[in-house]
Amino acid sequence: MTQTAEAPVAPPPRADERVGRKSPLARMLARPEAGAIAGAIVIYIFFFIIAPPFRSAASFSSVLYVTSTYGLMATPIALLMIGGEFDLSAGVAVTSSALCASLFSYEFTTNAWVGVLVALALSLLIGFINGWLVIKTGIPSFLITLGMFFMLQGINIALTQTITNQVSSPDISTLQGFSSAQKVFASSFTIGGVNVRISIIYWIVFVIIATWILLRTRVGNWIFSAGGNPVSARAVGVPVARVKIGLFMAVGFMAWFTGMHTLFLFNTIQSAQGIGNEFVYIIAAVVGGCLLTGGYGSAVGAAIGALIFGMVNQGIVYAGWNPNWFQFFVGALLLGAILLNTYIRRRAEASI
Amino acid sequence: MSTPAQDPPGGRHRATADAPSAGNGNGGVPLVKLINAGKRYGAVIALHDINLEVGAREVTCVLGDNGAGKSTLIKIIAGLHQPSSGTYEVEGTPVRFSSPREALERGIATVYQDLAVVALMPVWRNFFLGNEVGKGLRMDIPAMKKMCKDELLAMGIDLRDVDQPIGTLSGGERQCVAISRAVHFGAKVLILDEPTAALGVKQSGVVLKYIIQARERGLGVIFITHNPHHAYPVGDRFMLLNRGASIGNFEKGQITRDELTGLMAGGAELEQLSHELESEGGAAAEIGRSMEADVEELGITGQHDAGTDAASAPARQEGSSHP
Amino acid sequence: MLRSLRLTTAIVLLMIVPLVLAACSTTGGKKAAQAGNNVAAGHANTKHYTIAMITHASPGDTFWDKIRNGANAAAAKDNITLKYSNNDDPTKQAALITDAINSHVDGIAVTDPNPQALCPTIKQAVAAGIPVVMFNAGFANWQQCGAMSYFGQDETIAGIAAGQRMAKAGAKHVLCVVQTQGQIQLEERCAGVVKGFGTAGTVTKIYVNGTDNSAVLSSITAKLTQDKSIDAVITLGAPYALITLQAETAAHSTAKVYTFDTNAQLVAKIKSGQVQWAVDQQPFLQGYLSVDSLWLYLVNGNVIGGGQTVLTGPSFIDSSNIAKIAVYAAAGNR
Repeated sequence: MTQTAEAPVAPPPRADERVGRKSPLARMLARPEAGAIAGAIVIYIFFFIIAPPFRSAASFSSVLYVTSTYGLMATPIALLMIGGEFDLSAGVAVTSSALCASLFSYEFTTNAWVGVLVALALSLLIGFINGWLVIKTGIPSFLITLGMFFMLQGINIALTQTITNQVSSPDISTLQGFSSAQKVFASSFTIGGVNVRISIIYWIVFVIIATWILLRTRVGNWIFSAGGNPVSARAVGVPVARVKIGLFMAVGFMAWFTGMHTLFLFNTIQSAQGIGNEFVYIIAAVVGGCLLTGGYGSAVGAAIGALIFGMVNQGIVYAGWNPNWFQFFVGALLLGAILLNTYIRRRAEASI
Repeated sequence: MSTPAQDPPGGRHRATADAPSAGNGNGGVPLVKLINAGKRYGAVIALHDINLEVGAREVTCVLGDNGAGKSTLIKIIAGLHQPSSGTYEVEGTPVRFSSPREALERGIATVYQDLAVVALMPVWRNFFLGNEVGKGLRMDIPAMKKMCKDELLAMGIDLRDVDQPIGTLSGGERQCVAISRAVHFGAKVLILDEPTAALGVKQSGVVLKYIIQARERGLGVIFITHNPHHAYPVGDRFMLLNRGASIGNFEKGQITRDELTGLMAGGAELEQLSHELESEGGAAAEIGRSMEADVEELGITGQHDAGTDAASAPARQEGSSHP
Repeated sequence: MLRSLRLTTAIVLLMIVPLVLAACSTTGGKKAAQAGNNVAAGHANTKHYTIAMITHASPGDTFWDKIRNGANAAAAKDNITLKYSNNDDPTKQAALITDAINSHVDGIAVTDPNPQALCPTIKQAVAAGIPVVMFNAGFANWQQCGAMSYFGQDETIAGIAAGQRMAKAGAKHVLCVVQTQGQIQLEERCAGVVKGFGTAGTVTKIYVNGTDNSAVLSSITAKLTQDKSIDAVITLGAPYALITLQAETAAHSTAKVYTFDTNAQLVAKIKSGQVQWAVDQQPFLQGYLSVDSLWLYLVNGNVIGGGQTVLTGPSFIDSSNIAKIAVYAAAGNR
């Protein structure tokens, strides 16, 4: 670039009088997680007051366990939503992965770890197919993954039945490698007399990794742009197709991880498991600040969304409420959290 | 300059087959040059016999109404499409770009009408999108924020907060960010696709200011617009497009703004139309006559006399938008 | 990067092959299980028939695997082709029965969890000349629906028996875990438990989401934590008893575990004393008898039961008879 003069005749900088200073509080409230944090605090206090068993550390550990089983999948789903896509097959993909590991190692009588690796390859492949179809056909991911959801649901049940004559996977606890796999994926330990399952630790670790990728790396920048405006992103050279396929494969990877946890914790998997969970993941991400249209959101927010779901799920039992009201309460509380989220964000953007 | 021309058959304009030679400040070699370039899509001829050039520290304006073929022209220069005929030279060597990335690497940056920004993302993230600075996977965020702020300052904008979503900036400011982004990343040639089309008067003035800034920093600018009042103040060269062909290539001193407007407004066609109506007779003839009178009065006959620049004709208004 | 993605996937897949060849397990797996057997009984040379079995099984409910195993065993013996279909929605189950009628099958074996929805269609089958037997559900009015025989247990009787046994064992507060909403037999079981338990204490019901193991685990753990007075838990399906054991560890509960229905892993827990007993309605027998009785009717005009219910349960599997049962359970038939 040839420059013949050093910053020649630059007009005097004019500060933009329309951009006021934002107070630190306003800045914090404008973050995508703000509403979720507020909602989580409200719900925690609510159940703390009305449900005495909720207060103990052991109960909170149980809350965190439920949270982690949803949170492990809500994290990649949040990243995918920020990248502008949906995956409705995520719930059954977890079961597919677990069934694959179980059936493969059982049928061929292999070491349990072999099944684990085969399941990893399968889950990554499913993710790749989802992403590739979305990119190649241009059909909305909502529809593509809806089709995949039904296919996986059918395969899960039908294939299990064909191979084992049962609708649940066989007992693999006697295979070699089972106990070591169990230690890795499904162990628990005690802290101060409280039983803590390892999935909680993994969940926190994955949330940290996802947040770091999103905010501190160029891949994160690409994810935001792929969801916010893929046309613009392509125009400046962002590899949007690769980013999206990569995100679908990340969902596949976490479906594998979650599936392995479920398999080695319960040994047998019911082939109809997982249906309905895909909406919980999406709701957790939306509660955490992810826009349905993409380009905005946070992994920490989705984690807090999963926490809200866990607290409601367990809090209702602890409070001794009529379980028939469970669905209603979940829906109402989640709606409230989303409205609160939106309200706070609008206030933060309006204030100076 | 040549003497006032006789009307060549088929039009009252002086069309030149070649563009006047370019290249001050670059040893005479234009940064971008199209020689008799054309593009056809199957049976549709979008462009033919286009000659265009821009050198360093120059602004070449491409003028034309909607449907003239401007967007096809941009796509060819930007590397999105290849010309079906003719040559495309960059700094003297013929090129054939297979992707915008390649053109970008040669220093040809395009700022599209929709600006290629992501509205929800902060200004600094948009600035470095696709060109993030960092070691390995990690981005160097404080450095990027500072660089972004400094670059914008150099273009004349002081953003206190580069973290604000770019969607909160005004249209003119967003153009500035897009332009300074291209400048920062080493663009040698900047293609601006209708930057003032959606802006108000004051904002347009601001953008024209930034175009001049870019020129002063040594870039060549291809400024595409359908508004001759914006093009005239900043342009060193003007090319007019109409229905896929060039109807004129002029340098600054060779044409007045009103003549430019006249060529663009199709003054020749209006005159022909008025003659048609007059020959009808009756009420149509009335309209035809009043149309002809308007055309005369406004001076948009499309006739171009080299000698009658600033001195003559009534309804000429000198604009005030010189920077 | 896309190429390297494909490359990576290919490498991963290639890694699997040598691993598979090298890493067989010396314990467990299918090889071990094949030591078990089917209840095979030769092959009749009577005429070939087609029988449709239509149940209300929900997808993923392992209880029905045993019924199918029994039905398949009988079909293999009797030179019968068995067409199995299921749907837990009564209107859809009725449609499946109509399909069987239109296919002109030789016999229908059906469950009737919802007489209002299903009886009319069953009557149509009988009117079309197709013999019908009922099993597992529909205890109250199978004769009115036109079925020849009924094989199953009275869930209420089973529940009462269970409740009485728990009371005798000294339980004071029972938790009845229901894995699906809206299934009559499950409700009848818990209602029977309440009746049988009587004045010995209280019975609390909890609904859990039966298709999600983690949810079941968490809900039971939470309940046991919330209410320390629970000293007995009865589940209505074997997998849920297993999960209850895990929940008790997490909740530090010492409640005794009882259940309806068994499977191979549960049998091991009864042996080790972690589960006290299981109420067995012999689902294998229900499936087997349904098909076999239709065959007997078709080849010899026989009707089993004399218009009365043929009971297949309840029987209790506990430490006293577990040794023998364990072998059959391992083969998936008890």
